[in-house]
Amino acid sequence: MSVRARARAVLIPAAAVLAVAAACGSDGGSTGGGDTIELTYWTHTHPPMTELNEQLIAEYEEANPNVDITYETIPNNDFGTKMLTSLSNGSGPDIINMDDSALRGEYIPKELLAPIDPAAFGVESAEELEALYVDGTLDGAKGDDGTLYGVPSEFNATAFAINTQHFADAGLDPASPPETWDDVSEYGQQLVAAGHEGFNFVYLHSGWYTQQLQTLLNETGGSILNEDGTGSALTEPESVEALQIWHDLIREDQVGNADTASREATSPFEDFASGRRSMTMIYPWAVEQIAQDNPDTFENLAVVPLPQVDPANPSGRWYGYYFAVNKASEQQEEAWKFIEYMTSQHERWLTDVNFVQPLQGWEQSEAAANIPFLDVWSQAYQQGKFDEVGPHWSEVQDAIKAAVERSVFDGQPPAESLEEASESVDQSVSS
Amino acid sequence: MALTRTAPDRARGARARPPGSGRPGWRRRRDAVGLVFALPALALFAAFAIYPMLRVFQLSLYDYNLTSAPVWVGLDNFRFLFGDERFLASLGASLFYVVVTYGPAVLLALVLALGLNTRMRGSAFVRLLYFAPVATSWVAVSVIWRLVLQPEGLLNQTLNTDIPWLTSSTWAKWAIAIAAVWKEVGFFLIIFLAGLQNIPKDLQEAAALDGAGSLRRLRYVTLPLLKPITVVVLVMAVIRGFQSFSPQVVLTGGSFGTEVINLFVYKTAFASARMGRASAVAVLMFVLLLVVTFVQLRALRRSA
Repeated sequence: MSVRARARAVLIPAAAVLAVAAACGSDGGSTGGGDTIELTYWTHTHPPMTELNEQLIAEYEEANPNVDITYETIPNNDFGTKMLTSLSNGSGPDIINMDDSALRGEYIPKELLAPIDPAAFGVESAEELEALYVDGTLDGAKGDDGTLYGVPSEFNATAFAINTQHFADAGLDPASPPETWDDVSEYGQQLVAAGHEGFNFVYLHSGWYTQQLQTLLNETGGSILNEDGTGSALTEPESVEALQIWHDLIREDQVGNADTASREATSPFEDFASGRRSMTMIYPWAVEQIAQDNPDTFENLAVVPLPQVDPANPSGRWYGYYFAVNKASEQQEEAWKFIEYMTSQHERWLTDVNFVQPLQGWEQSEAAANIPFLDVWSQAYQQGKFDEVGPHWSEVQDAIKAAVERSVFDGQPPAESLEEASESVDQSVSS
Repeated sequence: MALTRTAPDRARGARARPPGSGRPGWRRRRDAVGLVFALPALALFAAFAIYPMLRVFQLSLYDYNLTSAPVWVGLDNFRFLFGDERFLASLGASLFYVVVTYGPAVLLALVLALGLNTRMRGSAFVRLLYFAPVATSWVAVSVIWRLVLQPEGLLNQTLNTDIPWLTSSTWAKWAIAIAAVWKEVGFFLIIFLAGLQNIPKDLQEAAALDGAGSLRRLRYVTLPLLKPITVVVLVMAVIRGFQSFSPQVVLTGGSFGTEVINLFVYKTAFASARMGRASAVAVLMFVLLLVVTFVQLRALRRSA
């Protein structure tokens, strides 16, 4: 066979196959009728929340047969990076559920989100919508100019969990929980002597390190950035004091072992839930996860107020996750309608997964009445504030994580460690 | 001998063809058909390898955060990096990883290859065992080693120690190197074995007849003939070392002095959205690897 004949023998069938494939492809892309509205929705991974999301999506799709929602959970350690990258290049989901630090630090300044659509919530304006919520709780999704970009899927305050059985083992009275960090140290050492890990922080990604340090900073009066947000305030005495508390509890008083702490980001409170750890900082959503992970520990769980540096002037930390809509979405109106449905189910969020959606009067609702330790949570919600954020916040968080690790794992004095972190933070926020 | 004469004659004959006569028509047509078949692959290579590489070079001269238009900053990204402690620390972490992992891994691979380059029962199975970690993904290997390196893991139990392998700035980089040596030895072992099996047996026999012992045969016959393979292995070792990413992500997340250069690039690009600066790092690494490879090749050629 000549070269030309051979080429013809190969090329003609290949072209035919390509043509058939192209024809099939053009038909396969159809959504069938053109009326189907396709929405994509991404969240982080939290098994109880995932389950409820799936139920609510199924109900919404049943009530709205023309809506097809693709729901994806992203592993927690990759969530921020994947979401930011996808939104930035215009390929992100229509609906996101993201924490307030990321919203205020990255997404809103970069104009990646669509302003809220009041009509979807049956109100005339964002102000009218805001009036439905407890004062200040929507600030986590606002830009510097006051524009609102989201509504809370969960709003968290910080409290403290103790294992009452462990307290009994150590001869401690669960009715007299630690009120100060000195108490945590004292109780912790007794709990260690009784064969438990007394207390520890959670060592996951940089966001976790930062939020725990921020909790201590709120109590000591320290901060990460200076007042105008142009540089670091980590070397201020109040800021050093915050890391000193962390360092002393773990390295000096040895109430817990950072080296053996669990690093499972999907289950941050695994050490407490498994019955290994006696005391931990806790958030409302974690209670349901502990109940699911280990009913025995849940039976011995007591939620008490967060220990304070100065109990006379208590302080706390707020953070929230907010439903928001991708600015690049072509289905913004439908996305907000779906979000309205999600928030209309606020009692189920509270009952099923202990997520507080802070609508006015939520504490008086029937669902709230069945929430364990409601009085403690109510008090915690009175004394919180949102975390600081600033430019290039992920780099700031990395610097804080490295500072905590140098101090808590390697034993570097907190002042020295924060000096190094301070240089990094200065560089990040100024470049 | 006749063969060695006719080959150059034929070559000279080809060069002596009168200009303009060209190749026969059937050969030109064959080449054209070949080119048509190669075009899709070439297009894909250009789209997914050449273009992104050129784009990285271009982006390194801009400040670009993915959401707004790139702003020309000239060499600012490079100037910043030379004074950035985090970048310099990640460069140091990569250098440490390359030296501490690939030095022992290459040496061990050579020793094992010399040992396994014999016909004995079960040697194929032993080779397979050494190669198994190479065929396993880095993420899977890292997950296994995370268990081994835990405070109460296999390594501490075996050594009867209490070393925080993965949570200490002193130990974490060594822990990753240990896991990496285990994973990478098999790769170089196979290459060395292939090289050893290509060394003609008669040279070894001739040296033995001349009275050379096994060590002298190794020094004067085996190693010199293995030099081309060694050059390839060393170049690959350096490149593989600087490309490391997965073990650091899975085992430490880049903490405790293990943030290697690729992890720094990833975080700078996708967590901080500083695409220009990340591209500048990529360009610097490209140049660095090019220079290192060139120096390696020159040094080894000179010693040949």
